[in-house]
Amino acid sequence: MPKSARPLIMLTILALGALAWTSPADVGPTYAIRNAKIVPVAGPVVEKGILIIRDGLIESVGPSDKIAIPEDAEVIEAAGMAAYPGLISAHTHLLLEEPAAPAGGAQQVPSITLPGAAQPNTPAGTPDVLAFGLLKPKKSTLDSFLRAGFTTVLVAPNRGIIQGQSVVVDLNGEDPEPMVVKNPAALHINFTTNRGGYPSSLMGTIAYIRQSFLDAEGYALAQAVYAKNLKGMKRPVFNPFLEALRPYVRDKKPVVFQCNNVEDIKRALKIVDEFKLNAMLSHVNEAWRDASVLKKTPIPLLVTLDFRPPSGSLFVNQGEDLRKKAEAEIYPANPSNLAKEGIAFALTTFGLNDGSTALKNIQSAIKAGLSPEQALRALTIQPAQYLGLAAQLGSLEPGKIANVILAKGEIFDEKTQIDKVFVDGILWKF
Amino acid sequence: MKNPTIFLVFAAFVLAASFQPASAEGGNLLIKNGTILTVTQGIIAKGDILILNGIIRQIGENINPPAGVKVIEASGKFVLPGIIDSHTHIALAGTNEGSEAITPEADVGAVINADDTAILTALSGGVTMAHTMHGSANPIGGPNVVLKMKWGKPSEDLVVTEALRTLKFALGENVKQSSRTILPGGPPPRYPQTRMGVNAIMRREFLRAQNYMAAWDRYNKLKASKIPPKILLPPRRDLRLEVLADLLRGKMVARCHDYQATEALEFIGLAKEFGFKIAAFEHAWEAYKIADELAGEKIGISVFADSWAYKMEAAEGIAYDAGYCAKKGVLVSINSDSGERIRRLFNDASKTMKYGGLSENEALSLITINPAIQLGVDRIVGSLEVGKQADIAIFNEHPMSAYARCDMTIIDGDAYFDRAALLREREEAAKKAEVAKKGGRP
Repeated sequence: MPKSARPLIMLTILALGALAWTSPADVGPTYAIRNAKIVPVAGPVVEKGILIIRDGLIESVGPSDKIAIPEDAEVIEAAGMAAYPGLISAHTHLLLEEPAAPAGGAQQVPSITLPGAAQPNTPAGTPDVLAFGLLKPKKSTLDSFLRAGFTTVLVAPNRGIIQGQSVVVDLNGEDPEPMVVKNPAALHINFTTNRGGYPSSLMGTIAYIRQSFLDAEGYALAQAVYAKNLKGMKRPVFNPFLEALRPYVRDKKPVVFQCNNVEDIKRALKIVDEFKLNAMLSHVNEAWRDASVLKKTPIPLLVTLDFRPPSGSLFVNQGEDLRKKAEAEIYPANPSNLAKEGIAFALTTFGLNDGSTALKNIQSAIKAGLSPEQALRALTIQPAQYLGLAAQLGSLEPGKIANVILAKGEIFDEKTQIDKVFVDGILWKF
Repeated sequence: MKNPTIFLVFAAFVLAASFQPASAEGGNLLIKNGTILTVTQGIIAKGDILILNGIIRQIGENINPPAGVKVIEASGKFVLPGIIDSHTHIALAGTNEGSEAITPEADVGAVINADDTAILTALSGGVTMAHTMHGSANPIGGPNVVLKMKWGKPSEDLVVTEALRTLKFALGENVKQSSRTILPGGPPPRYPQTRMGVNAIMRREFLRAQNYMAAWDRYNKLKASKIPPKILLPPRRDLRLEVLADLLRGKMVARCHDYQATEALEFIGLAKEFGFKIAAFEHAWEAYKIADELAGEKIGISVFADSWAYKMEAAEGIAYDAGYCAKKGVLVSINSDSGERIRRLFNDASKTMKYGGLSENEALSLITINPAIQLGVDRIVGSLEVGKQADIAIFNEHPMSAYARCDMTIIDGDAYFDRAALLREREEAAKKAEVAKKGGRP
């Protein structure tokens, strides 16, 4: 074989390999959306523009006179409509089908259970559970959220205290694998209790979380020392529970705390500080009551659009009139109160099971004082940044994933309807 | 709050739940012409108390108000130290970590709930401070916390950091019964189910704590040695044992739920064996049987006044328990153990005058300076003295009178409960509601 032929062969092999990833069947359609008002979020609004989608990505976007429509594009006439980036919900329990019995994996931190103690019916912690493995998308759920403009959601496991690791998916179909944008996305912790086992109280739960992180730190240290002393050191015992926690204490991968009331926020902040975690606080629908504390921390907030007051709240235990007021006015003002304090946040649909309620609640938040622009950012670029996906998602920019919605009017107006939704560059069929 | 209108409507609905103290004067007040019951330094028939920045600066007669200091007229009224409840469970999200018998890692200080309306109830009875405790389901429960009743303030502002760190223990039936499976399908039975088991499990845990301390001492010694070993890993940090180690090191004191004299003596034996301090026995219905031992060991009791025999192990309780023990030199406090009785501690304390023959001032001590000493806060509260924090209650009558009623409760110089102001607010709100009902604008 002549010497010069070898690189050519190598190149051919490489090309064949690449083909396996982008075979012609995988090439997505090309669309040209024209005459639309374009709200890119990342830049100024284009009153009359063109947006080109090619093979799942945004190819170009700009004013009508600056962008040429490619010959192979399917033209979508969008006069009177506005194009927005698809909305992102950075914390949900959607699309899960969990086994009747709790998922397997490690049980509790083994040494915390004493002999003779009550054995838990359900594990308090399953950090090794991946939400990806529990995905079971249903068309009805997808339709409901796509109709409201949501194209990307984070799905977290929803059982136990240390619940497991979440996945970020595009709502592009019912097959889990092509949906995945990021896996695992974060570790999820909820301030709840373990019925019928340890910990059965919130104070026990806090101790349980702290002990788990302490053990994970000890485990990570032992593994690190072992890596340097492979010869001459007895290997540390493998522990799947602690192994799953290791990236979160050692590599500072994100940990999301579900904070169900004003006090949970403080509880989470203490734990975050103790273990120097890279944290986000979710739910937080009483965040405005902690504004003075939250102002001083850069920790991202994933604020729910679920405005039902937490049980035991000051606003629910003093009569029906106040409870109604709380639900209609006080809690919907949480996002706007945070905005007024200059506290950054993303909005999520956490706790809501359908898209129309989410949309209605966005309108309530706007009625309570949040500007539509703030709401839009909190559902697009802000969650994209928090999830480490700002390069791919959150705005209409060339090169980003083509999650695009076309609305007949301003997106959050009560009368506005979402007309078309593109997910990963494909027009969704309702 | 979103806007003033909403706040007004809101205030009309929640009379009791104002977010701000009834009168926030920045901790500056002059209380004039009241009968001052200092508890530790006698009675001033008609005197004034000047409070600046939340601290009592002057007690005497004819004090002139400095510029800008609000004056509270208290003539005909009785001014006393804020009442302190030495044992209650209010303002918490959960009381017992009952799934296991030994849970010193379960710290009630981590689950304070400042939204609990029992704080308001407490204020209405002149209570300014409460020792809010882990429940009695476990032989070793968890750390407790001392709170000021600052209604409307964020939870961290309620915590009294100067107080002793206390750890809850429990003996007898509560512990035993919590170990049984009562309902079919409930949690499996737990060890221990007998009084001897309770003592044994405590010994086992103290021995484990001693081992834990020794392991850390060994590690620290090796780490600090001139040539530390090449591979040296720290022992596991165990939150459960760390709390017990703190008790054994004297950084915490024990507060032990106890009914019967025999088990109290056994617990004193454990304390001697392992070298920790018992601050008080809780309920202690049979303390009168061992008053000399308690006084000798300087162990206090925190008890109910007269509600004994509500279960078999309380059958030998007597109304004279508190008064008799106090006369014997035991440090006695009267507690509520309740979010409701907490507003009637002064009534309960006064019962020791009839049962036990205490004087008015001795009876008042049971809910002021004595619980302050038990909680290690007598330097800062518990009596009306210059330099102490201005936690004060103002009553219409002598608090040991059956006709007594609390009119105002002040914490750190701010009024958190003002009966007259609340009644005025309530009337105005009722009027507004009436107008609104008729279709007019309030």
